[in-house]
Amino acid sequence: MNALMTRPELRKKIALQGIAFIIVGAALIFIWNDLKKSGATHIQTSSASRVSGILPSLLSDLNLILPISLLAVLFGVACAFYLEEWLSATSWVRRFIESQVTFLTEIPSLLYGLLAISVLFSYAGVFKEIGTPSPVQDVNESGLAVVPFQRNTTMFYAEALIFILMVIPVAIKTTQEALRSVTTPIRESAYVLGANQWQVIAKQVVPLAFPSILAGGCRAMSRALAAAALLIGIHIPDHTTGPRGIPDRFMLFLGGALLLSTISSFLKKSRLETSPTATARHD
Amino acid sequence: MNYSIETENLSLWYGDFQALIDVNVKIPDGKITSLIGPSGCGKSTLLRCFNRVNERYGNVTTKGKIEILGKNIYDADVSLPELRKAVGMVFQRPNPLPISVYENILFGLRIHSPARSITRTEADQIVEEALTSVFLWEDLKDKLKVRATSLQLEQQQKLCIARLLPLKPKIILMDEPCSALDAKGTLAVEELMEVLAGTYTFLIVTHNMAQARRVSKECIYMFLGELIEHRETRALFETPQHPKTADYVQMRYG
Repeated sequence: MNALMTRPELRKKIALQGIAFIIVGAALIFIWNDLKKSGATHIQTSSASRVSGILPSLLSDLNLILPISLLAVLFGVACAFYLEEWLSATSWVRRFIESQVTFLTEIPSLLYGLLAISVLFSYAGVFKEIGTPSPVQDVNESGLAVVPFQRNTTMFYAEALIFILMVIPVAIKTTQEALRSVTTPIRESAYVLGANQWQVIAKQVVPLAFPSILAGGCRAMSRALAAAALLIGIHIPDHTTGPRGIPDRFMLFLGGALLLSTISSFLKKSRLETSPTATARHD
Repeated sequence: MNYSIETENLSLWYGDFQALIDVNVKIPDGKITSLIGPSGCGKSTLLRCFNRVNERYGNVTTKGKIEILGKNIYDADVSLPELRKAVGMVFQRPNPLPISVYENILFGLRIHSPARSITRTEADQIVEEALTSVFLWEDLKDKLKVRATSLQLEQQQKLCIARLLPLKPKIILMDEPCSALDAKGTLAVEELMEVLAGTYTFLIVTHNMAQARRVSKECIYMFLGELIEHRETRALFETPQHPKTADYVQMRYG
């Protein structure tokens, strides 16, 4: 616990955490019950992954990351630029959006995953086809499973949509942090030379904040991957041919998330080394 | 005597707080003028009025008149980029752009001239001239491609002055330019100011009274948003007219 907290503050924090825990727990129980009723918890998974290798998993990873990075991260970054650079800090639009973003980033990704499942179950109407496990048709001489390519487009977009919803708030938040790290005195150096807002952003803010923005994007994507692991458990992102076993997929997604977070921490570090704030240590 | 900056009953509010109260000041051409006073007395605010960089904060109300080089800078036809081209500014903490030394010096010029209008030879010459006039050319001529933020602080601060020069400003505002530098760096920047003083008008905010005495010809003492005394530096320090000034310069205050 934070040593700087006074006793009433601590009590308040514990009480709030308790309430949050109860709400999340209740939500989990309700969703789980719904899922049980709809039969999602009894879907079988097969184990063709033992013979299919890493490539299909890698491809489905890319398949997931590509729409997310293109839509969600770019959109989130653009939103953050608008909030941070164009709206004044006192504007009610900015205050409202920021409070919503904070709320959404604090929701555990697990809940998003469950939301995804329940939405896909109830409305997308896709689970029927996907839910019935496709039999492994054949194993050829080299030991590879031959599974018909059964990409389901509706399914794919619905799933990507949930992930995008999940990633945008994180992307907004991390980008905003990155933009705030370029402090007013640094910005003013370009303003006093007569630069306009576009020039300041393009020549000064973006070069300084870029590594952090990139790291934030990685963090947002690794969050999506972490939640995807949950969906794999019940077979949802199965839009390419590929492994059926839970452990393989799970480990692969975990590996992806680990890689991304390692990259992002490296980027954070390198930013510190080149930013002007780092020179403060010399005096 | 010609004046670069003249203000008439200049008042400024941050929200409800009045930071400047009826300031009337005339800054002489081609000399170094220093602004001294306790923290929060409005020195920096006054300085920032002269290139209108204060307005970026929002919530700022200004009343009165500021004439720079004979032109009221709050007239509707004043262009901010042109104003900031004529009135350069150097900050407390060196803040070069995160690009090479070479591009830092050309940055101001590039945003004020049409794309690709500066030839390679012109650019080289401009960079050499600017760096020579701040005595950095010998140190940096082999490091032109180095990121400016990786230089020593003293070099960075000199570079911040050098990058104003290609724009040919008339006035250079300095907001505590030496407070992040050590004694040697301070001396170097002060010497540089003295050399450049004939060509440019300097207005410098400083907390260091010894520095104000060393470098400036005229000195302004401010207290709680009001201009208390504006005289020739030596006279202000040796025979202050106002009791508040006397308290401050003789260290009886804070």
